[in-house]
Amino acid sequence: MATPLIQIKHLSKSFGEKAAIKDVNLEVNSGEVFGFLGPNGAGKTTTIKIIMGLLQPTTGGVRVAGYDIATQPIQAKAASGYVPDTPNLYAKLTGRELLSFVGDLYNLERAQAGRRIDELLHMFDLVGAAEDTLDSYSHGMKQKTALAAALMHDPKVLVLDEPTVGLDPKSARLIKDILRQMAERGAAVFLSTHILEIAERMCDRIGIINKGELIAVGTMDELRTLDQIGGASLEDIFLSLTGGAEEAEIAEILK
Amino acid sequence: MKTDMSLAGGAHPSSDLLPAVWKLLRLRWRMTVNSFRHAKTAAKIGIVLGIIGLVIFGGFLFWLSWQLLTFLHSPRLTEYVGDTKILLDAVPTLIFTAFFLGILITSFGLLLQALYLSGDMDFLLAAPLPIRAVFFSKLLQAVLPNFGLLALFGLPVLYGLGLSDGYNILYFLFVIVLMVSLSLAAAGLAGLLVMLVVRVFPARRVVEVLGFLGAIISIVCSQTGNLMRAGSSNSVSQEQISSGLGMLAQFNSPWLPLTWVGRGLMALGEGNWLPGVGLTFLSLVLTGGLFWLSLAVAERWYYTGWAGMQIIGQKKQTKRMLRTATASSRPVLSPRLAANLLPAAIRGIIWKDFLVMRRDLRHLSQLITPLIFGIIYGIMFLRTGGEPPAGRGEAPAWFMDSIRSLLSYGNVLLAIFVGWMLVQRLAGMGFSQEGKNYWMLKAAPVSARQMLTAKFLVAYLPTLALSILFLAAFSVLQRIAFAQTAFGLLVVVLCLAGMAGIQLAFGAAGANFTWEDPRKMNAGNMGCLGMLLTALYLPTNLAVFFGPLFLAGLFGLPAGYGYLAGGILGSGVSLLCAILPPRLLEARVNRLGE
Repeated sequence: MATPLIQIKHLSKSFGEKAAIKDVNLEVNSGEVFGFLGPNGAGKTTTIKIIMGLLQPTTGGVRVAGYDIATQPIQAKAASGYVPDTPNLYAKLTGRELLSFVGDLYNLERAQAGRRIDELLHMFDLVGAAEDTLDSYSHGMKQKTALAAALMHDPKVLVLDEPTVGLDPKSARLIKDILRQMAERGAAVFLSTHILEIAERMCDRIGIINKGELIAVGTMDELRTLDQIGGASLEDIFLSLTGGAEEAEIAEILK
Repeated sequence: MKTDMSLAGGAHPSSDLLPAVWKLLRLRWRMTVNSFRHAKTAAKIGIVLGIIGLVIFGGFLFWLSWQLLTFLHSPRLTEYVGDTKILLDAVPTLIFTAFFLGILITSFGLLLQALYLSGDMDFLLAAPLPIRAVFFSKLLQAVLPNFGLLALFGLPVLYGLGLSDGYNILYFLFVIVLMVSLSLAAAGLAGLLVMLVVRVFPARRVVEVLGFLGAIISIVCSQTGNLMRAGSSNSVSQEQISSGLGMLAQFNSPWLPLTWVGRGLMALGEGNWLPGVGLTFLSLVLTGGLFWLSLAVAERWYYTGWAGMQIIGQKKQTKRMLRTATASSRPVLSPRLAANLLPAAIRGIIWKDFLVMRRDLRHLSQLITPLIFGIIYGIMFLRTGGEPPAGRGEAPAWFMDSIRSLLSYGNVLLAIFVGWMLVQRLAGMGFSQEGKNYWMLKAAPVSARQMLTAKFLVAYLPTLALSILFLAAFSVLQRIAFAQTAFGLLVVVLCLAGMAGIQLAFGAAGANFTWEDPRKMNAGNMGCLGMLLTALYLPTNLAVFFGPLFLAGLFGLPAGYGYLAGGILGSGVSLLCAILPPRLLEARVNRLGE
């Protein structure tokens, strides 16, 4: 039986009067790539930030690798890696220095961290830029550095917010392969994306959030059953569930 | 149903320069209006009051200049200082030269930002507008604020001169025309200089260096002024005035193009039509030509500037690739002992903060300020020889004795003052300086206590080093006794720890992570409160340290008792302030950045 590495129970978050997330319940198991989809402003990033302990929920809770993020944040964070939607990294550190700093934050042994840094720099084709400060990096290079930083300590849980935005096809493919490999090694990968093709091809299960509510969760086949559209693509299901079908019609007219 | 929509059906590309410039300026105006409209009511009231205040200030300057310049015509003044006509003739040249150089220097930084670091250049250059119009509007945007500021000071003086000399209407009209043309020429020249510099250095680095130099120069100038004033007499001799007037006459030489503007304008005002019209026309042609040339050259240089930057970047990268690929760039900073004492996360944060502060010149300029202040005030202190100023001699003897005793610990006070300035920045902004990168710390398995400890050490260690350096240097220079220096050292070490604790706690409570420029980071009202509290803590704690010492002297007890009691009490207060405020803030740190 698969172990749930991310457990979200009755999670709600409000910013003043506005409810960003409403009673979300979700589990992501070991060895699973979970795609988290939703229109802009649906609550994806808020959910991700709560999973990572960057925001505190209004009600409900999250357990990461068995640890409650509210009461055991250090253990939960030690087991997880995070790639934000905007890779804000210390501009005046070099790529290598940043990874070394992350190694310290996650308490890696110096020699082990050194080996891991070399490995990740090679993997992400960043060796040539490793000694340059991050302010000279392109968006894609920063994105890759952020992912390398998230992988430094080989986390059990990897949470990614729009990881492929701004990446060239080669890097995007590399990230997809890495995520798949991590899942095969027993990690839980939780990723939000707007690219439905990525979600359809990569993810074992998909959750769709709309206006703060988790409106559908399941494998592609389960989602098709839910929407009662035989053989439908994820795009059709997504638009049907999130009320974007009318917009799709307008787009068709404009073609 | 399908609709046939032709591509770019609504687009009407414009190739005319002035309509395109007008369009771009309207866009800027719209943005300004929108920011005013969406500002808070208090900010709106502040802006309106500010504008009214500036108008009143301008009016006052105008009246003052008029009166002063009328006074300069007075025969009694001429009797004392000689012919003031030299000064009056040089006024327009002085103002216009200051105007040109002021616009040139200030526009450089503004244009660097506007042309290379603002996000809208690609958008504007991709639009169907003449490239020249984009540069024109950028130059105008860069010039306008400084033009307003310089005109606020220059225009009243020039109008005051016109009224006091009874110049005709053409003078008053052409003052503005020439100011505008000089400003545009200076901005054009600044634009070209920016593009030249960017061909060699990356724009971001140039901005950092400019910020650093600007901060250092302004601090050095202001404090050197204090130093000079402290050591000079207030009266000016007749010889000094004559020599100053002689220099002005040399400066107003007819061979310098910048003097043509002022000379032409005065001749125009006096009704000397030939030199007046000739020199004014020449000035307008030269400034207009310079501006137009700048626009034309900028069109070419802007693109080669970008290309140059990319080549430089690649070259650097290739060199670095050859230099090292696998060797770890991180020096082993911490010896084994430190590794055992401090967890890796704390050491990592300390190392990271030191690297970032050292590499970002904008941070560095803030950190060097205490050093400059320390040196200048140190020199001033040494020049007094440890004696309090006598004043008017009416202070009672006991008061002067107390001040004298206090000044015998001047080295300690100076060391703490320098430390106070540094710790305000390092501890007060300890969390804020993480900026948008704070997510990295927050998502990492680092506890609030570890973060606070790391930030405390980042603030405390350099502050302590700098303060001890000052203490040691001044103790040696003043030949202070060992016991007194040792006690001073204890005071500095502990007093700064308490100060760091208070500043860190309040700085963290008001941490702001949304800044773009490190010079604009702040810790809000809480940070200000922290500064106020340290200002209260400092005299209180010093009184606790030194009070028993003075009391021991007063009651004829051995100084050792005073040192012991002061040391114990002062240490208690200091340690309490160093430990308690950060401890109380741990829960708040867990919620930072939400």
